[in-house]
Amino acid sequence: MKNKRSFTIELSARQILELDACTRCGECLKHCPVQDVTGNPAVSPPEKIRMFREFIRATDGLKARLFGPAEVDQKLLQDFAKAVYECTTCGACGQNCPVGIFTQRLWPMLRKEMVKRGLGPIGAQAETPAAIKNSGNPYNKPAAERYKPWFPETVKVADRSDIAYYAGCTGAYEAQPMVRGDVLVLNAIGEPFTMLPPEEEVCCGFPLFITGQHDLLKDLVTRLVKGYKAKGVKKLICSCPCCVNIMTRDWPAIYGEDLPFKIRHITQHVSEAIKNGKLQLKNKLSEAVIYHDPCYLSRGVGVIEEPREVLRSIPGVTMLEFERHGLNSRCCGSGGAARKVFHENAIAMGRQTIDEAVAKKADRLILSCPACYAKVNEAMQGHKNQIRITDIMELVSGLI
Amino acid sequence: MGKFLIVAAYAVYAAFWLRFLGHALVWRKASQRLEALGAPLARWSVKGCALAVLDVVLLGRVFIVNPALWIGEWVFHASFLLVVLRHLRFFLDPVPDWVWWMQTPGLIAGYVLPFALLYILVIRLLTKLEKYAAPANLFLLGLVLAISSIGVVMHGLFKPDLVDVKLFIFGIAHFAPAAAPGSVLFLLHFCLVLVLVLFLPTHIFIAPLVMLEARKREQALRLVIHEK
Repeated sequence: MKNKRSFTIELSARQILELDACTRCGECLKHCPVQDVTGNPAVSPPEKIRMFREFIRATDGLKARLFGPAEVDQKLLQDFAKAVYECTTCGACGQNCPVGIFTQRLWPMLRKEMVKRGLGPIGAQAETPAAIKNSGNPYNKPAAERYKPWFPETVKVADRSDIAYYAGCTGAYEAQPMVRGDVLVLNAIGEPFTMLPPEEEVCCGFPLFITGQHDLLKDLVTRLVKGYKAKGVKKLICSCPCCVNIMTRDWPAIYGEDLPFKIRHITQHVSEAIKNGKLQLKNKLSEAVIYHDPCYLSRGVGVIEEPREVLRSIPGVTMLEFERHGLNSRCCGSGGAARKVFHENAIAMGRQTIDEAVAKKADRLILSCPACYAKVNEAMQGHKNQIRITDIMELVSGLI
Repeated sequence: MGKFLIVAAYAVYAAFWLRFLGHALVWRKASQRLEALGAPLARWSVKGCALAVLDVVLLGRVFIVNPALWIGEWVFHASFLLVVLRHLRFFLDPVPDWVWWMQTPGLIAGYVLPFALLYILVIRLLTKLEKYAAPANLFLLGLVLAISSIGVVMHGLFKPDLVDVKLFIFGIAHFAPAAAPGSVLFLLHFCLVLVLVLFLPTHIFIAPLVMLEARKREQALRLVIHEK
């Protein structure tokens, strides 16, 4: 009986129209990072949309209305679930869609439908809710270890402030040079900032949202918003693109009202501080650097210029660009929680990023996302091409 | 044969609307729900609307992602529209002046149409530019190619009796069926058009709306996290 549940329940009217609008032209495949490494059209955007249309027709079409919903083939459902979870949800397909389908938002909602049917999430992703419930983070690491290993002893955090910094789970546990750099730079700007205690800085909800497991979202978001509100925060700064994405796009809807503070990516804050003289980069860096746009920062919230402004303000730096950059950036393989299950795909995509950076003769690959940072570093292990990988704030913190 | 074609035409007409109704019921059901999580920010602006119009009229998004395919697609869509407008003379009586004005452009478009389709097929199947070609799309391309080629052959070589054609089409359109013309080519042309209507993709109705939403969303991207 489970398979006869309507397939439209988790989708908005706009998304159902988007499914109908797909012309299956296949242009998106040229920009899909999963296609780049698998070459398998069966897991491509138009095939996923075709399958989902079949499901909708079976349970919601005219025939289903007249004679009752039809049973959907379980094998087809399983194939679809695998395809939708193999995606990195980078949204490059939507960015290059001749119709303009907003796929970065569509795929997570199709995943939610799979979760409701017991077909998702896949593998380690299924452990995320229990891990977050247990420890507050998807890595199931102790909350006491959230800041301790990387937080600079010289930096003082205010109890209350207009400005707050959210480190995020991936940064705190998997990309510590990045969050250490964030804090050092914030400290150098000289404005007091506050943070939640480690046991209160829980997951932002993104790993749950992106894998379609929405049950804990309300609780997590409410805890965080109330925590920052109690500290009088007016501006919440974060460096993780995924956290920033869900905070700006979804927290108000999950929380139930407008947030009592604004959200800013750290590069926005730092770029502004450099412009108004609050932060000066004194040390020279005579290197050619190439900046990788994280998908959820560029296509997700439109932060494209600020990281470049920060890098250009470093004396001596030469900026290079990937062929696909800005709104068209290519996923490094870490997105959509797919890296937790389709490890080989993620490594292959990460190596493509490294290879292009090396081919462009960059001295350093600059990242601005903890998931990218962790996975691209992992992809470089044992790879023929090697390049120095640095987070943007890690770099800046070493030049002040 | 004539009676069969008339019944087939009404059956296809009914099937088209039933299919449309099926989709409309799904859209209606979904429209009654609020977007579960934050709907994408969207902003009405003159620029966004103008870009959406360009997307629909000039297939602007196709041009951005694939200029080689764009020229074929645009010529195909434009010539198809002109051919459809030219054919309105068979459905209307009296024929409005603007339909008469469309006859020469429609005739030229009728000759261009098969070449545009061949160009698209070459790009899709014979070049390494394409990674994916949906069987449904290839079927539709082949179908329109067959319809348009037969149309060209009928115009240039084996002209059917146009009075009979008009009486037949006009009769079906106004629920007063008349005898089918004797031309085999015309009958084949007509049957293939019925198949086309049966498989007409819904994206032709929906894509313009989604293109408009996309432009509104893109115009609002700067509002997501930047100062409003």
